[in-house]
Amino acid sequence: MASLILFFLDSRLNYFSPVRSVLSTIVYPIQTIASLPSDASYWIHDFFKDRKQLREKNTILEAGKLLNSVRLQKLEALERENMRLRELLGSSFRLRERVLVAELLTIDLDPFSQQVVINKGKRYGVFVGQSVLDETGVMGQVTEVSKFSSRVVLLTDPSHGIPVQINRNGLRAVATGRGLGNDLQLEHLPHNADVRVGDLLVTSGLGGRFPIGYPVGTVVSINYPKGKSFAEIAVKPAAHLATSREVLLVLPERRLDTKNESTFSEENQ
Amino acid sequence: MATYKTPQGGVIIVFSVLFAMLLMLLPLPETLRFVRPEWVIMVLIYWAMALPNRVGVGFAWVVGLLIDVMMGGTLGVLAFAYALVIYLVLGFHLQLRQYPLWQQALSIMSLVLLVHIIAVLISPRTASWHVWLPAVTSTIMWPFVYGTLRKLRRTLKVS
Repeated sequence: MASLILFFLDSRLNYFSPVRSVLSTIVYPIQTIASLPSDASYWIHDFFKDRKQLREKNTILEAGKLLNSVRLQKLEALERENMRLRELLGSSFRLRERVLVAELLTIDLDPFSQQVVINKGKRYGVFVGQSVLDETGVMGQVTEVSKFSSRVVLLTDPSHGIPVQINRNGLRAVATGRGLGNDLQLEHLPHNADVRVGDLLVTSGLGGRFPIGYPVGTVVSINYPKGKSFAEIAVKPAAHLATSREVLLVLPERRLDTKNESTFSEENQ
Repeated sequence: MATYKTPQGGVIIVFSVLFAMLLMLLPLPETLRFVRPEWVIMVLIYWAMALPNRVGVGFAWVVGLLIDVMMGGTLGVLAFAYALVIYLVLGFHLQLRQYPLWQQALSIMSLVLLVHIIAVLISPRTASWHVWLPAVTSTIMWPFVYGTLRKLRRTLKVS
């Protein structure tokens, strides 16, 4: 008995991810049932919206769409210009990634770690390390995949760090979660680093986990504690970590590219 | 001569545990998240106390493992904690049955605290004072759990 227990405690070394994945598949029905009441309440709420509300919402959406398409026109021109310039520099990269839409299960997990469960799993090709976005920014990454569901660690989890750069000047840093509270912090930036309140942080794409250029958050406060070598910089995440119901899973193109590269190098050898 | 009764109502035990699991997962408002009572261990303790020949350490271990997976914690932490607690309960279930309800509730508090101490010691989670709140709420909820499950056991003749 005790030996079995110790055996499983070793799971921190990640030997048990297949076991875990099987067990997660087993508990998935329980999780789905637990999320039913709030799903139903959303559904009922949607169902009983009256005509006036729907029309109002429709006008707002139409206006938003118009605005977005105008911006998009400009963006497309900029994108093309950017690609052209990059081609001149000899370093082109893909700007567009394909995405997969998933829904959150509305259940509560351990309140001491920031995680959510989504309803897409191995069947849809979700993999560990895949980055998860919502409509306003990066949410986190997939840590565990079972057949029908997968677990996502949010940016605010204390064990999570994400490589970012400041959109204004390209300064690179790592944003880590703090656990309790909804802020991130920028680590290891000296007092004289060029950071200002209101700066937008985007993913830098270093480390190869997250696609480049998605918004992560904005700097909300900067402290320079005396006698410490690094500044304390608090960042508010751009994604609505607490309220999003639908998330996007990024399907990276780069995977294919690296595969191709490796086959090329094998051929060369 | 002790007469052996054939055990029955295993389904009820399993369903009560599954229902407790649902309660563990049910979304709560942000402020209440930290005070969620430990429903599953309370249900397990009740069954171990009332029917020690039915619910044992192994069952508790499996349930704990499932909860570990469900909550995304380190695998085996809660399995170990639940198994240990049920082992203790089996050790003094006869005394526990004789206690008045408030004294039982206090024992529950110490047992739930034990679960949390183990969880904090083993898994790398952020330890804050919030960790101790579930023990208090579990103590408060114990009379209800006890009453409900006893009624369930008597009316459905689980033995």
